[in-house]
Amino acid sequence: MDVAELKEKWTGWTFDEARFEIKSEDLSEFSLACGETVPRYTDAQDPDFQAPPSYTARFHGRRALPKDFPVDMATSFDGGKTVEWKAPIRPGDTVVARSHIHDIFEKTGRSGGMMFVVHRMEFTNQREELVAVVDWKMIQKLA
Amino acid sequence: MILDLHSHSIVSDDGRAKVENYCQWIRRKELPLDGFVLTEHRLFDVESDYRRLEDEFGFLILKASEVETDYGHVLVFGVNDDLLAALDFARVDLSLAGVLEESRRCGAVAVPCHPGRTRVGMCAHVESRGQVEGVRIVETLNGGSRGNENASALALAQRNDYHRTGGSDSHIVSHIGRCATRFETAIAGMGELMTELEAGRCEAVALENGQWTSQN
Repeated sequence: MDVAELKEKWTGWTFDEARFEIKSEDLSEFSLACGETVPRYTDAQDPDFQAPPSYTARFHGRRALPKDFPVDMATSFDGGKTVEWKAPIRPGDTVVARSHIHDIFEKTGRSGGMMFVVHRMEFTNQREELVAVVDWKMIQKLA
Repeated sequence: MILDLHSHSIVSDDGRAKVENYCQWIRRKELPLDGFVLTEHRLFDVESDYRRLEDEFGFLILKASEVETDYGHVLVFGVNDDLLAALDFARVDLSLAGVLEESRRCGAVAVPCHPGRTRVGMCAHVESRGQVEGVRIVETLNGGSRGNENASALALAQRNDYHRTGGSDSHIVSHIGRCATRFETAIAGMGELMTELEAGRCEAVALENGQWTSQN
């Protein structure tokens, strides 16, 4: 598998778009389930009520990867998510998540060679303001 | 002077530590450390400027790289434009011989790190494929090592009379300074660091109960 070729072919273009309506009760439930105690994340009556910073990590697009993306799920595993908070998400917002492959790279570790696929979701609100960027790393072991 | 010669910040794909947080941690925990070198994975961080943090905290903060070769990972100190042009740092299949040669030619210093580690350290590769000419310094104390990996590294260094360094290989804040390198003289910058490494006026040390312990 030529990682440079994969990177050239698959990165940088949007392959999925999904829309999410933000509801007050969902924000509270999520925050409380995470053990959050700060009122602006848990109390819908708080004047600054908003989603907690990691809220967008809960969303999935319609596709996890582009159609025909060459990945062997049997030798792959989840490398975790990174959430970059950009602006508040509040009840009543409509958030659109656009997904693309942000990066593909190789590294070597104790267990051998690995290919990292960085799936990026960029979330914008109804005013087209960027509110969050979520990077999900998928790791595939290489022979 | 004691410097942690192997650390990673959020600039590395797997680093979780901000450099400012390293500084705050060292100060808060009163670690007996004079500074550290950021050795980011498969790249040289041209952009970051840590002089403000150096001034604020009084630590020496230098930048280097950790590249990947056919004999395992290698720290490269003194990365410059010539070396960046000569080597594709992003590759995982550089040759150790090539990294050593190009580093020498461009005025940098290459130090194979965690040599005792499976697959990404040079010990096993030396056993299976033989020595590589040009190695003079190896990291014999790595804060991320397991089991007898550091002992294997030390044995390799002793057999070949290599100079020895130490570094934490920290990726998170609380791991900075677990291992380090003690120098005989004060070091103000990368040039002096390379001079002392090449001269072997250094030793690998580990922090145990607040005290530095030599590996010897």
